Amino acid sequence: MERKWYDKGEKTAREERGAGEGAMIDEERLKILTDGAKYDVSCSSSGSGRKNTRDGLGNASMAGICHSFTQDGRCISLLKMLMSNDCVFDCVYCPNRRSADVPRASVSPEEMCELVTGFYRRNYIEGLFLSSAVLKSPDYTMELLLETIRKLRTEYRFNGYIHLKGIPHADRALTERAAAYADRMSYNVELPSERSLRLLAPQKTKESVFAPMRQLAEEKREFALEYKRRTGKEEGRGRGKFLPAGQTTQMIVGASPETDGQILRLTQFMYRKYDLKRVYYSSYVPVVRDPLLPDVQAGLLREHRLYQADWLLRFYGFSCEEIVAEDGNLSPEYDPKCAWALRNPQFFPVEVNRAGVEELLRVPGIGAKGAYKIVAARRYAALTFEDLAKMRIVLKRAKHFITCGGKFCGAKTLERARGELILAERADGARQLSLFDGAEPLTLAASPEEKQFLLKSSPEAARAALTGQF
Amino acid sequence: MRTVYFTDGTAEGFFSAVFDAYGDKGAFLTSSDAFQAALDDSFVRVPPSPEKAARVVKKLEALDRGCLWEIDCILRTPEADREQAAFLYIRLLTEHKGPVRGMLSRPEVRRARELAERVGQERHRLTGFLRFRETADGVFYAPCTPDNDVVELLMPHFAARFKTFPFVIHDLKRKLAGLCDGRNWTVVPAPEAELVLSENEDEFEALWKKYYRTVNIPSRRNIRQMKGYMPVRYWKFLPEKQDDSP
Ligand code: SF4
Repeated sequence: MERKWYDKGEKTAREERGAGEGAMIDEERLKILTDGAKYDVSCSSSGSGRKNTRDGLGNASMAGICHSFTQDGRCISLLKMLMSNDCVFDCVYCPNRRSADVPRASVSPEEMCELVTGFYRRNYIEGLFLSSAVLKSPDYTMELLLETIRKLRTEYRFNGYIHLKGIPHADRALTERAAAYADRMSYNVELPSERSLRLLAPQKTKESVFAPMRQLAEEKREFALEYKRRTGKEEGRGRGKFLPAGQTTQMIVGASPETDGQILRLTQFMYRKYDLKRVYYSSYVPVVRDPLLPDVQAGLLREHRLYQADWLLRFYGFSCEEIVAEDGNLSPEYDPKCAWALRNPQFFPVEVNRAGVEELLRVPGIGAKGAYKIVAARRYAALTFEDLAKMRIVLKRAKHFITCGGKFCGAKTLERARGELILAERADGARQLSLFDGAEPLTLAASPEEKQFLLKSSPEAARAALTGQF
Repeated sequence: MRTVYFTDGTAEGFFSAVFDAYGDKGAFLTSSDAFQAALDDSFVRVPPSPEKAARVVKKLEALDRGCLWEIDCILRTPEADREQAAFLYIRLLTEHKGPVRGMLSRPEVRRARELAERVGQERHRLTGFLRFRETADGVFYAPCTPDNDVVELLMPHFAARFKTFPFVIHDLKRKLAGLCDGRNWTVVPAPEAELVLSENEDEFEALWKKYYRTVNIPSRRNIRQMKGYMPVRYWKFLPEKQDDSP
């Protein structure tokens, strides 16, 4: 027989395994277990630079990669599934709660591994987002999850992305062992206050979520210190062995009465205290009817505003106190940066040819990329409004807050500016791509030079804008 | 009066033309037959010369390491002005004796970056949107029809991931294919491919389609956003979009 170009005379992995021998999940169970996982909005595969091994499958890409988009416009990056939807807990809002009458299903670790590697080779996914309902007990479930990702990493030699959603109340030794295999872990806060948690998720407590978060944050810090002691170098971002993509969490918005101010305070607390990489907000979708729950879907606009505010916290050097009062809500009329700028006219206008990166980042309508472009271009020549327009910097909002070589071309009074900004927002409203969970556009947008440049030349805020870290 | 320098469309041909045309203020570089000639144009056909090309590349490398990647990208676009855009960018760079990519108030820089970014974006998108199917002899095969010539840029990405089985990325538009045996890769001309799929293939595709349909949240339907992120021209080879009309 003629030898083909790809034939190295060795067996392919598939032949070694025996074609079609592995246990496969059926469509019915896949449907049930996907349905149960999909209200977790995170699907991001960014933040880890895990490398492939010599005979392994896959690696992780720092910026994350989207493989498809659903009809609701969300990125599909990871295979997001439950190990089981058979729950002993009884959270009121959850379709899988013990008292619900729904079909139950579970998969075995082998079935999960076959599915993940089969999907990965076809380039359907970047990796796995694994979670589970509480099957039998928290420890039993956590062991099952641990066994699955252990198998995936060691037996299937899978080096793609793994996000593990941990089980609250599980033994801390299990949490620690799982973290050795995962790129990212999350424990969901679910509800923004202890009171709502008690009412709607009776078996969970704030502490049951914060305890593992704290544990992982401490272990990660220790790991970094230890690494430095050993090698004298900083733990490379993503190259460190311990949870390279850090931790995230999620809150359901609109199922309980907390204000945006409360939600953002909690968010800021977790970013600072537990070094979270991201907090996700999930607009409440009524899948379950109960007198304790609202009947209507929470507005997407509110979720959108929370994400905008969250970006200001993470990337633009704002504090929660600057954005919204504790008992207040974000303005539906304009984005939080606009709202802040209108409340603080004393900072404006700023001169585009002189302002620092931090000041530019606080101008409504100028993002990290725009600020970079301005700082890079003005080194060669003073910029005019025409230059900005040619550089594709959108001036619709920014023009009310900047001068170019002393010239101002925004509205004459604050009142007028307010009116124009509301109109701008309405015009964009329908078109705006949500910040929901895309491919982390910032990291994507910046070329290596841009990153280098911003990192060298600017203070904390710009650093955060690029690295996505606080 | 302008002189039109015709190149053979390769990078080597382009850099050779840069060498010849550099001192000529009225130079216009192209490899396209479709460009608009003016009455008083004169024409030169530039044969590729490895020596000339190497000298230009060496010079550029010394001035700005990052520019070679950008130029490579620009030349991969199907735009009729790609050689000229890259040429003007190089000229500015050499006049300035260093990197100029921040000079966004200059039109040469904007055009060069626009083209380079377009290629970078398509490469990035296809790292997600390519779909491989397993053939009966265990080769994973992904067809595509990209706007830009990006197969060569995609190969390292997948070669790093797929080390235990051979794979092919086939550009049906340009009739070329990247082949990787799990270790080394190369790009060769490839008119068409005949596929005999593995017996697993249907099952995986069915599971994936099921997954795609299930993970959607119907009450949050937002088709416009979906299309914004995943333009319809990439749907052709996505199994999950075969049942959807655009
Ligand atoms: S623990 Fe609560 S939220 Fe999680 S699956 Fe069980 S009932 Fe649902």
